[in-house]
Amino acid sequence: MLEHWIALARGPFLRLALLAMALGLLRQVALQVWEISWAFHRAGDQVVPWGLAIRRNLEWLLPWRYLQRRERRAYNFTSFVFHVGVIAVPVFFAGHVAIWRQESGIGWWTLPPAVADWLSVLTVAALVGLLAGRAANASSRGLSRFEDWALPVLCIVPFVTGLWTAHPLWSPFDAQAVYLVHLLSAELLLILVPFSKLVHMVLFWVSQTSTELGWRFPPGSGERVRLSLGKQSEGV
Amino acid sequence: MEMERTSTLPEVPEEILAGLCPPRLTPEKIQERLSYIIEKDRVAGDLPRRFLEAFAAVLQHTNYRQVIDSYARIPARCSNCACACQIYQQTKAPEDVPCYRSSLLLDVYRRHFTLRGIVEGHLKDTPLLTDDLILEMAETYYHCTACRRCTLECPLGIDHGLVTHLARYVLSEIGLVPRALVISTRAQLEGPARNTSAIPWPAIADTLEFLEEEIADDKGVPVKFPVDQEGREYIFFAPVSDYLMEAETLMGIAAVLHAGGLGDAWTISSEFLDGINYGLFYSDWILERCLREELAQAKRLGARKILIGECGHASRSAKAFIRTFGGGDEAPPVVNILELTHRLWKEGRIRLRPDTITDRVTYHDPCNLARTGWIIDRPRELLRAFCADFVEMEPRGPWNLCCGGGGGTVSIDEIRPYRTGVTGVKKAEQIRATGARYVVAPCANCKKQLREVCEDNGLSDVEVVGLHDLIYKAIELDGGGGDA
Repeated sequence: MLEHWIALARGPFLRLALLAMALGLLRQVALQVWEISWAFHRAGDQVVPWGLAIRRNLEWLLPWRYLQRRERRAYNFTSFVFHVGVIAVPVFFAGHVAIWRQESGIGWWTLPPAVADWLSVLTVAALVGLLAGRAANASSRGLSRFEDWALPVLCIVPFVTGLWTAHPLWSPFDAQAVYLVHLLSAELLLILVPFSKLVHMVLFWVSQTSTELGWRFPPGSGERVRLSLGKQSEGV
Repeated sequence: MEMERTSTLPEVPEEILAGLCPPRLTPEKIQERLSYIIEKDRVAGDLPRRFLEAFAAVLQHTNYRQVIDSYARIPARCSNCACACQIYQQTKAPEDVPCYRSSLLLDVYRRHFTLRGIVEGHLKDTPLLTDDLILEMAETYYHCTACRRCTLECPLGIDHGLVTHLARYVLSEIGLVPRALVISTRAQLEGPARNTSAIPWPAIADTLEFLEEEIADDKGVPVKFPVDQEGREYIFFAPVSDYLMEAETLMGIAAVLHAGGLGDAWTISSEFLDGINYGLFYSDWILERCLREELAQAKRLGARKILIGECGHASRSAKAFIRTFGGGDEAPPVVNILELTHRLWKEGRIRLRPDTITDRVTYHDPCNLARTGWIIDRPRELLRAFCADFVEMEPRGPWNLCCGGGGGTVSIDEIRPYRTGVTGVKKAEQIRATGARYVVAPCANCKKQLREVCEDNGLSDVEVVGLHDLIYKAIELDGGGGDA
């Protein structure tokens, strides 16, 4: 019974989830690129520091930017560790790459198994730390929406079940059930990417560029807004 | 009050208006809630519909849509920005976290202008935009000083200052604007005096004449304030309040230009001399009109560059937007007086007597000059040249704390207790820690605010001055340069 479900989850479900994520992200990227080009086209000042804007985004990828901060260093550094794990393990874990190779003939460099294990443990620890940091900090607790709690919790599941799948002896549960939960939870996450804050994985790269163009006004836009509100004859 | 509409409706798709809830507040109640900072008489009922119409029109004609769309999707709600916000640090109120403040407008966008929001709204039948929320936005966005310190702390690159600006722009289009800003702008763009303080030209001309006499008395050198001279290199725009209250700043600037050999290279325009641009704080329409006035005067007098006096927002609005409205590369370059004075000093064209000021001096970075890293070291180099005891505030430069009166809040006298008791408290602590006698703030807004901050926080010995006020004391005018 479970084998049947595992076959489905490993095959069609996985493909569907990847496709949903890819299409969702593609749509976001296409829209954003289109909107940015349109904004550039209308801007009265077309000298845009593209490189600087993207660099300002990239700076946040490096841990030194977090360590420079005076406050919440631990939280920010934990976030950095989590991001390393959440990208490296799914993409470079040997088991995952083997599936890619088997399905599509394409493979790439893989993490040594022990490193993947430790990184997974670290990622889970980081996720717990991030949840605790969110709960302990009044301002961030107050800001949090449902997804800010639910996504980290959901993210823990494939990492723990992944560890158990790689090391069935560590697991207190039935190996097949664990494997199925691993597959389904990961797929759910993939599907959620375009519809949640996880979409920042593609929009992050150009947010500063967007900001730059937001501040670049089309000449006469103020007048046109007044016109379409029927206020052309009104004064200040 | 009659709930009447003052304008014909633009075309707003029904989906955008979906989920509006009927007004829960009576017009009378709204008037009461808006309190003193809002121009009450322009507010009629039916706020949510009018807000969405204005929002739709703004999104259609400006470049904000792409950035707001991205901001509405990516926030991680990490609250890093809370650490950077001096208002939140003072109040510890959840509604003062920059990310929360921005979320008010972003949620309205998500709910009414994205497919998913519209669908979700239909399914859940949850009206989002209510009179209450609009009033909350009016309150919170006008209480932000738009200092943009939080933007340095957002890992996802969200500029909460831009969101504040946009929210105020939409609010202003439905009449929700601080009265003080409207009255000043009206005087500047539509009044007879053509400046925010409504000072008639003859009074300003008298002031200039008086200042020339003062300089002659002080320094024994005939220094001029050139007016309506054609074909000059620089046309000069100071905040008009300088002509009333910051005479020493203007005297310092005139003395520097005279001594640097630029006495014949600049001019003031009698038709429009006010560099203040409140549009930067609340309206792209106003911003453009003010800059077009500056461009028109530069053209009328054939000036090649725009020189802005000691004023942060006048400098940033001109520097950042003159190319937008002045035809890109054809627009005249914008120079802040601090840049020019520093260059003249570096080139040895002006001399500053070392150790002229022996009392302790510190420097306040105006947000609009320093946040982007534009003008940070130059004023400090100048100060070190003639101050025996210069000390720094911490943090400084791009990380400076706002004076507490940014974003136009300094002009709203009714909220002085808020400005000096909440937003300005950290600044007062910073100043106290330096033990300085003089706080140098090269910005008219910062100067007014810092004086009130010092007064209300037991720092009555501290004197807040412009950079050129002190330069005026230190500059050597004997035979140097001049009109010759």
